[in-house]
Amino acid sequence: MANRPAASAAVLAAAEQDRARGARRAASERWLTHLALAVACVLSAAPFFYVIAASLKDKGSLFQYPPVWFQWPPYLGNYQRLLFETGFPRWMLNSLFVATTVTAIKLLLDSMAGYALAKLDFTGKRVIFLLMLILLMVPFAAILIPLWSIAHQLHITNTYLALILPPLANPFGVFLMRQFILGLPKDLENAARLEGVSEFGIYWRIVLPLVKPGLVVLAVIIFTDQLVSFVWPLIATTDDNLLLMTVGVASMRAKGGTNYGLWSAAAIMSLVPVVIFFLALQRQFMARSTSGALNQ
Amino acid sequence: MTSSETGPAAAAPYAIELLGVAKQYGAATALQGVDLNIEPGEFIALLGPSGCGKSTLLKIIAGLEDATAGDIYINGRLANYLRPKDRDVAMVFQNYALYPHMTVETNIGFPLAMRKLPKATVADRVREVAALVGLSDHLKKYPDQLSGGQRQRVALGRAIIREPVAFLMDEPLSNLDALLRVQMRTELLKLHRRVGRTTIYVTHDQVEAMTMANRIVVMRDGSVQQVGSAAEIYQHPANVFVATFVGSPPMNLLGGTLRTDGGRPRIDGPVAVDLAGIGPVPAGDGAVSVGIRPENIEVDAPEAPGATPGRIDLIEAVGSDSFLSVSLADDSTVIARVPADAVVREGQRVGLRFPAAAIRLFDHEGNRITTKGLDA
Repeated sequence: MANRPAASAAVLAAAEQDRARGARRAASERWLTHLALAVACVLSAAPFFYVIAASLKDKGSLFQYPPVWFQWPPYLGNYQRLLFETGFPRWMLNSLFVATTVTAIKLLLDSMAGYALAKLDFTGKRVIFLLMLILLMVPFAAILIPLWSIAHQLHITNTYLALILPPLANPFGVFLMRQFILGLPKDLENAARLEGVSEFGIYWRIVLPLVKPGLVVLAVIIFTDQLVSFVWPLIATTDDNLLLMTVGVASMRAKGGTNYGLWSAAAIMSLVPVVIFFLALQRQFMARSTSGALNQ
Repeated sequence: MTSSETGPAAAAPYAIELLGVAKQYGAATALQGVDLNIEPGEFIALLGPSGCGKSTLLKIIAGLEDATAGDIYINGRLANYLRPKDRDVAMVFQNYALYPHMTVETNIGFPLAMRKLPKATVADRVREVAALVGLSDHLKKYPDQLSGGQRQRVALGRAIIREPVAFLMDEPLSNLDALLRVQMRTELLKLHRRVGRTTIYVTHDQVEAMTMANRIVVMRDGSVQQVGSAAEIYQHPANVFVATFVGSPPMNLLGGTLRTDGGRPRIDGPVAVDLAGIGPVPAGDGAVSVGIRPENIEVDAPEAPGATPGRIDLIEAVGSDSFLSVSLADDSTVIARVPADAVVREGQRVGLRFPAAAIRLFDHEGNRITTKGLDA
């Protein structure tokens, strides 16, 4: 729009037209994008909303026709029953205990194994890595019976060990940590090696702090995976005191008959630890990355 | 290994001495038979194209890689079996390798902290070193809050704080932009004068090597081609590789035949030069490469007596000078340097003179033919 004394009126008019057309196109593209996103949002949030609404309805309004979207005042009876008349609190504690323990141990093991596979040279390294990759491709159902058989022979069925030990052997975390650690420049370790830092020291003081985002990702994956795991806990434990949330909630169906309100309340409650865990770790996703380590 | 086991030069030990150092990676040879003595306080540049083994040599000295053969003496002591931390060398990496999760202060103090020095001592030394490298105001910052030049200084500070026998620098300036690189080059040199430590500096940039180093080690394919001062390497390259690798544009090389006609040595070929004036030349006739630096070629009129006729194909002006690509009768091309104000134009016919004293001769294997007159 600067001074263009040489431009004729016709050129200026055409430019104005182009400008207006461009602005209209940008606006319509923006609207279309927002519309598509809004539809996707509604589609993914609708079932969630439905469960929340159902957990806050009494039996009457659950099956009312025409349906009510949201009962007012909300009915809290489902939650009351869940927390005080079922084993839910105990199941949740069990789940939290198992998930936390597995997560903590796995973070340590996986990052150590990942470091070894990514940065150290030793005989059999490729074979070990290959075996891990193969193991990743074996569906859980295929090892379910042998796994139970091993647990049975070790006499650990119906103990916390049965819930904690098997997931530790999942190689996914090792694979993930290896990939993260591979991305760290060799010079960082070399610099530390020149200062006499031990191999464990390099892992602990240099590598771990730098793969924090990877550790957080892995923690979230393992933790949620443990909270929602169902088949193995169902098979490995029969003791009521050892039931995990998933198995416990399923057993309510068997024992208590159809109660959509109660089940919905259980579903919502079981999300609470995941949400808290995720929110607590969310800031860590944005942890200081390796930017600044290298000038590239 | 005992500390009494010293290198061959026990009386006044070299800071670093390499004897027949070789490195194999499987079937690939990274280094072969590298011999090198480095005096205390010397600034040595390892110069060569990528993959010539210069960084590998540096890592072998640091102890980050093992040599397949050969001995490394550091300060008169056999270092082959010493762990990196016991070799008393500090390294500055190409990409600085700063710990991103530590502040400048912690980064610089890291080597001392690892040696379990008292915190107060470490803090004092960090302050001293930070002042030396000009980082006193940035001690609490993290590497990602620093500019490239500042990061470079943190890396230097981390190396200096240990007061090692030698600094090993692996292309430390190659990640900086051109202007900063020139600045840091000067700073590094000043720092070297102040600290006075032996420095081995790996670079593929001949300007860096030539401006900074006392001696340059030119390497190619894992072996040392020539060791010497910048002037020696530039004026008297040991072989065709050094002649063409050092200098920009590189030395002109032309085919020719060395003849001795009745005791008068001369070169025949696209360029004919009478070598009689420069003293005895090794006897015998044979094919040689004739080398001459662009600035030593004299550009004259095409019909000037004794001048080789040619035609200017291209003129590259670089401000202070112009480089002329001149094609000769046999289609070979030579580059000649003329002052920027020389009156020349593309397509112009010229005559080139090749002063005998500036001619360097190389045999069919590319090695320099030593002539008393030329190499005096």
